[in-house]
Amino acid sequence: MGPALSLAARVELWDVVLAAVRTELRCSGLREVTTPPMVAAVAIEPWIEPVCAGAGWLHTSPELAMKSLLVGGAGPIFQLTHVARAAERGAWHREQFVLLEWYRPDRDDAVADADGVMADVARLVAVVVQAAAPWALRSIESPHTWSRIAFLDAVEDTTGLQLQGDEDGDALARRMAATPYALPPLRTASTDARRLEAWTAFFSGWSDAALDPWLRGRAGAGAAVHLVDFPAPLAALSKAAVDSRGRTTSGRFESHVFGRELANGYRELRDATEQRARFVAVAELRAAHALPVLPMPEAFLADLAAPGLPPCSGAALGLDRLVALAVGADALAGIALVP
Amino acid sequence: MASVDVSELKKNTKIEIDGHPFNVVDFQFVKPGKGQGLYKCRIKNMITGAVMDRTWRSGEKFEAANVESKQMQYLFASADGFTFMDNESYEQVELGANIVGEDKWFLLDNLSVDVLFYNNRPVGIALPSHVIMEITDSEPGVKGDTANNVTKQATVATGYQVQVPIFIKVGERVKIDTRTGAYIERVNAT
Repeated sequence: MGPALSLAARVELWDVVLAAVRTELRCSGLREVTTPPMVAAVAIEPWIEPVCAGAGWLHTSPELAMKSLLVGGAGPIFQLTHVARAAERGAWHREQFVLLEWYRPDRDDAVADADGVMADVARLVAVVVQAAAPWALRSIESPHTWSRIAFLDAVEDTTGLQLQGDEDGDALARRMAATPYALPPLRTASTDARRLEAWTAFFSGWSDAALDPWLRGRAGAGAAVHLVDFPAPLAALSKAAVDSRGRTTSGRFESHVFGRELANGYRELRDATEQRARFVAVAELRAAHALPVLPMPEAFLADLAAPGLPPCSGAALGLDRLVALAVGADALAGIALVP
Repeated sequence: MASVDVSELKKNTKIEIDGHPFNVVDFQFVKPGKGQGLYKCRIKNMITGAVMDRTWRSGEKFEAANVESKQMQYLFASADGFTFMDNESYEQVELGANIVGEDKWFLLDNLSVDVLFYNNRPVGIALPSHVIMEITDSEPGVKGDTANNVTKQATVATGYQVQVPIFIKVGERVKIDTRTGAYIERVNAT
């Protein structure tokens, strides 16, 4: 156990960090919104479990509500809110944590343009590291370089495997069979669900065994990484794409700082039909793994269909994690206001 | 038997794998934001003492190990092992030397310990975190040798040998940490 922050110090730390984040985002043209934490439907995700509340759930992210605001013409917006994800408990996971989520309908360039939300992530990291400095338990420097690495290139660098991003579930399982990333037996039936199930399982195993150590090595050298161009089966709520090497990818990225995953962003998917098909595949995966049935977010899908989401990019950043990293704490508990 | 979901695991949860009871000694939850959670556990076979690392994915389930712990009193050692008695029923059980292992050095007569039973078979003991034992043999301290952190070897009543500060004399009682086997402090006579 290293040194610890007193409660009074944590109160000051959070107060200063929250103010700094708000100032930074307002100064770059976003307005703060709040949406209710209790919702009738959440975005259906394979491995994110909502907590029941009343007739619905606590939001796992404010994504659907904020997208409804964007559909209505809200313009660039951000939100700071606690979200709840059941059974996520660990040194770097808490069941309830502060998510900073923001959208830029002025830009459809999460990946293509350095001025997009990826640049916001890099700026926010620098702002929070600076704001938190008086409370740092050891000297922390903002990452001095940010690099972008395509997901499939990182797979190739760490495993030697060349993937195209469109392998179906069984093909991916065969490719992985004789590697340290062998997949558990697939339980789903449809092509879409099997592809999703196989890629998600691969992502978890590969993240832990290869990607995280690789990223920690880079973090040691002061570098932060945007892992970009996620393969299409892992697109989640982002737009599908094809990269310069003809691989099937998407506008999803993750930002990793000090060797930890910090933010997830999308060039947002705007096609209601494709979004529904993805939710259906996730629902099949959830059913096959005996996870609770979640309702289709029909109101959100109706908004997507008409009047439709403006072209936009967005990201969500785990603020507790950033604050803990910025002060050099060795777990989220080190900066929590409530144990 | 009760089933345990991997998300319910924590330190000291006792689970059964392939017919063996395991104790979770360390536990780490990792999860890529939108990936499946992984539970990285260090588990100890409660019979053989073997420690291994296992990683499970969220959703996996185990059988809870039928392990119970009973407070018993240490009676005596024999060629075959160590005998303990249940203070309520006066029932005696014998644990083999392979089960007691290095803990034998801290078994003072009448010491209260927790004996662990797996399917009603004794499989291990849990000592108190420290014991107080008398020094039975030690070289006298060399006069003038007063530098800090200078230690000498001493033997306690059970035959265990421990490094103690130079000022400790034969007949004095010392507190010893049973997890590390290290000297903690001298216990003043009251």
